[in-house]
Amino acid sequence: MNDSAPALCACGSGLRPASCCRMDAAKLLPPDATRHLVPLIERAIQAYHTGAIAAAERLCIEVLESAPDRVGALRVLYDIRKAQGQSRAAEALIRRVVALDPNDLAATNELALILLSRGDLAEAELHARNAVRIAPESGQAHNLMGMILTEAQRPAVGEYHYRRVLELSEGRDPILLANLAWNLKTQGRMQEARALYKESVAAAPAIRQTLLGWARLEEADRDFTAASDVLDRMERLFPDDAGVRISRAVLLGRMRRYPEALAVLDAMAARSQNGMLGPDELLEKGRLLDQMGHFEDAFAAFTEGKRLARALSGNQYLDQQAGQLIDRLRGFFTAGRLRLLPRATVRTDVPQPVFILGFPRSGTTLVEQTVSAHSRICAGDELPLINDIANLMPRMLGSPLNYPEALSELWMGDQRDGLDNLRDHYLQKVRQMGVFSPGADWFTDKMPLNEMHLGLIALIFPQAPLIHVVRHPLDIMVSAMSNHFTHGFYCAYALETAATHYLRVMELVQHYRAEMALRYLPIRYEDMIDDQEGSVRTLLAFIGAEFEPGCLSFHENRRYARTASYAQVTEKLYDRSRFRYRHYLKHLAPVIPILQPVIERLGYGIDGDGG
Amino acid sequence: MPLGSEPPPILHAATPIAVPFGELFALAVAAEQAGRLDEADRLLGHILAVAPNEPETLHLAGVVAFRLGRHADALALMERAIVHGGNTALYLRNICELYRTLGRPDDALAAALQATAMAPHDPVCLHNLAVIRYERLEIDACIAAARRALALDPALPGAHFELAEALLLRGEMAEGWEEYEWRFRIAGAPSLMPPTDRPQWDGAPLAGRTLLLIADQGFGDVIQFSRYIPWARERCSDLAIACGAEMAPLISQLGPGIRQVRRWEDCPPYAAFCPLSGLPRLHGTRVDSILAPVPYLRADPARAEAWADRLGRLIPPGFRRIGIVWAGRPTHTNDRNRSASLAAFAPVAALPGIALVSLQKGPAARQAGSFFARAPLVHVGAEIQDFEDSMAILDNLDLLVSVDTSVVHLAGAMGRPAWVMLPRAPDWRWLLDRTDSPWYPTIRLFRQRAQGEWHTVAADVAQALRQRFGLTTAAGAAPAPAGRSRDPE
Repeated sequence: MNDSAPALCACGSGLRPASCCRMDAAKLLPPDATRHLVPLIERAIQAYHTGAIAAAERLCIEVLESAPDRVGALRVLYDIRKAQGQSRAAEALIRRVVALDPNDLAATNELALILLSRGDLAEAELHARNAVRIAPESGQAHNLMGMILTEAQRPAVGEYHYRRVLELSEGRDPILLANLAWNLKTQGRMQEARALYKESVAAAPAIRQTLLGWARLEEADRDFTAASDVLDRMERLFPDDAGVRISRAVLLGRMRRYPEALAVLDAMAARSQNGMLGPDELLEKGRLLDQMGHFEDAFAAFTEGKRLARALSGNQYLDQQAGQLIDRLRGFFTAGRLRLLPRATVRTDVPQPVFILGFPRSGTTLVEQTVSAHSRICAGDELPLINDIANLMPRMLGSPLNYPEALSELWMGDQRDGLDNLRDHYLQKVRQMGVFSPGADWFTDKMPLNEMHLGLIALIFPQAPLIHVVRHPLDIMVSAMSNHFTHGFYCAYALETAATHYLRVMELVQHYRAEMALRYLPIRYEDMIDDQEGSVRTLLAFIGAEFEPGCLSFHENRRYARTASYAQVTEKLYDRSRFRYRHYLKHLAPVIPILQPVIERLGYGIDGDGG
Repeated sequence: MPLGSEPPPILHAATPIAVPFGELFALAVAAEQAGRLDEADRLLGHILAVAPNEPETLHLAGVVAFRLGRHADALALMERAIVHGGNTALYLRNICELYRTLGRPDDALAAALQATAMAPHDPVCLHNLAVIRYERLEIDACIAAARRALALDPALPGAHFELAEALLLRGEMAEGWEEYEWRFRIAGAPSLMPPTDRPQWDGAPLAGRTLLLIADQGFGDVIQFSRYIPWARERCSDLAIACGAEMAPLISQLGPGIRQVRRWEDCPPYAAFCPLSGLPRLHGTRVDSILAPVPYLRADPARAEAWADRLGRLIPPGFRRIGIVWAGRPTHTNDRNRSASLAAFAPVAALPGIALVSLQKGPAARQAGSFFARAPLVHVGAEIQDFEDSMAILDNLDLLVSVDTSVVHLAGAMGRPAWVMLPRAPDWRWLLDRTDSPWYPTIRLFRQRAQGEWHTVAADVAQALRQRFGLTTAAGAAPAPAGRSRDPE
């Protein structure tokens, strides 16, 4: 950068920091004082619409350097930066528009979509809710809620908003129908979803996202021929589309046509600009190679996929944040303090929660699918609610402190029943998500790493079974390398951090178990394979449910699991994923010293020594 | 100095240097005796850096390392001391204790025999031999060694106490109780009470005068011997009992209106005193005349109700509730032998249809956090505040399985079923060979076949549990009524 040039804002807007992200609202001139700039803004808008982008940009910057709060100029500059793919600048600009004019529905919509696309669902939801408040009869606002809540794994609420859009709009917009179809697919309502996809495609036959969603539906529903047909059709419409190719590779993989799947990925790489695959494709390639027994190449693909994911997303393990939270939880939840804390009472008018705990990739999906095949147990899947309660706690308990210290409010006379309120909040949200099915006595919550909050869960639900799925830590590491997940403070972006976080969480669980009486049952993933019936009987008895043989053939449970494990749980129990680490001992060497103590405590060995 | 040549004597030679090693060694001895172990350790390490084979230094460094808990170091140092000569009988006598502590009874015995052969007139060598004989459950040999030690030194308290334990274990209570009276004179034993000019009670009625009973020794002893309180009261209606706050609610159950004192300053004037553990001697207890007025302790109904509710939430119906305790108080002199680990309960935890309810307290409770067995483990130990909680929990269990700790006595005194896992050489009160206990009718004993081998004991317990509760079906398949079963063993 030229030293003589004025330093520009780091967001990339092209403005000086004082006129952009470091703007001081107190120093802004009153609108009257900058009225002379209005003609410039009008010229910028005109220039933008006639394609004179450089002129429009120059005019906007000129205006905003004098009056950084001129919304018209901000909007034009936003459109320019967005079109240039400068997402950070675009987000900063549109965020400023929303802050200056919170009633701007279009800007709110834009901001929410940006947040949705980069995965910040919590903030996206906040703005989507504002959109509905600003314009309760706007289809756009309800559509936002539909998209965000579907992504946020509250599809029943999302469905409500999509259906509001249908009511509010004249016709049946094909993209809306496809969005609703995807929503229904996540709820496992495959037939309804399929019908909507068909209707959408009949009306608009060449929408890429619609076709891709439909193909995934058919793949998830195990109609491989139908999925293949949709992908064929897409290939004719979008011959070089990467999304189509990766879907094809996944489909071929599920059909066990590994070499063909690999060939599709290789062709993808050859056609890409740099001859490389993206992080998702690399992990898929690694998984295919693993299935084919090419372990060396498989791990190389995993490693490269993780490296690329780190480089592209900028995500890495939030080491300090994770360490601090765990230290605080350990410090707060001690036997002496727990004796002084009340427990929530038990609601008998609703199904009872069953918490399925475990590190991601340890077999929680398998256990949930198994128990939810029971006639009286329905599946809640990964409910984000315990985390929500932890975040909402200061407000709900009226505490100046954060979780967990906010629990000290329970010692106050006016918060003795504070835990009942937290419990009711959780149960109300579960009801809204449409989890409860008629006749169910229990529902599952299998949010991975909820074991971080064992103490809180046991205070809110003192009677709830806590089922901790345990698996050989090295197998979890292999699985964490071969799949993407963001749980656990982004620990799975590298092997070492996955191991570190795993160890931290297991030690925290150990602490909780030593400090408080818990209704806790460890269940081994390996036992689910070796002694399925014994394990299932133990599980059901621990929950308090009668044994049902149907739980042994859980793969016939038509419920669709949203998580990465879905392809596995629709197959019968298989042995391949047990002690898979043996093929990767050399690659896992850096984390063996980290994990060795916990491997021993869990009663596992390494390699040939018994497990 | 060339390798292999004899080092010059350094401790006793008068050398013209300012701070001779002999002086340093004396300082180390003083530091060790004063309990300044780190200082002693540092001084001895300094001497050994210069004179690595000096036997007295090696030996003392071994003693210090042992007292600091560095057992492997201690052993290595003592073994080197023996190799390099010096007062070998003393070293052997001490290494015997070390081997014993480290669970090497054969080496301990060999060392003790060698020591007594080298110093046949050293009563302490014979005492150590008696101790290792007891631990090996060679009771005749133990008694013989203790008697030989006492022949050489009739006032050696440790030998008297060892003899008492061996005699009582064999059920020879007449002589056993007499020898047992030496327990307060053992070096390092806490004194029973502040000095007093009142006599120890002889068991004769004390009309109109006060008898002060003292709840001495561990909690288990107090629970066991508190059964004699009504017997003492028949002979002396005016009782006062000195006991800690932990035991107070239990003692209260043994008779209305018994005065309790917490502080010596608060003791009323008394005519005589007696420790609770001295009452069996005065009663003239023999194996066939043990008082067992079970139950003499009961759970508080309100607490029992509260725990029934809590356990009902933590344990699903249909699971047999098996209380477990795997370790005693770590400061107990025999803790190494009597305490197991939670992992040793693996055969029990593999059974279907049971839930383990941990009543474990203390540092060993941490093991509850890393136990991953088939049976669910509910660690209520973290929530137990006092013995009344323990009793309320015991009231809601199907069975207690425990090593030899105070909870066993509590269950026994309550008449609740309890299975006790005993070390090869158990405490005298469990007698020899038998599977029952005349002290507690609802207690069943499971004995180690080899020293330190808990796995086989746990396997025996698991087998017995299978029979007792018909645990042949898978968990939950045949729900059984849980808790509050009162059927005797």
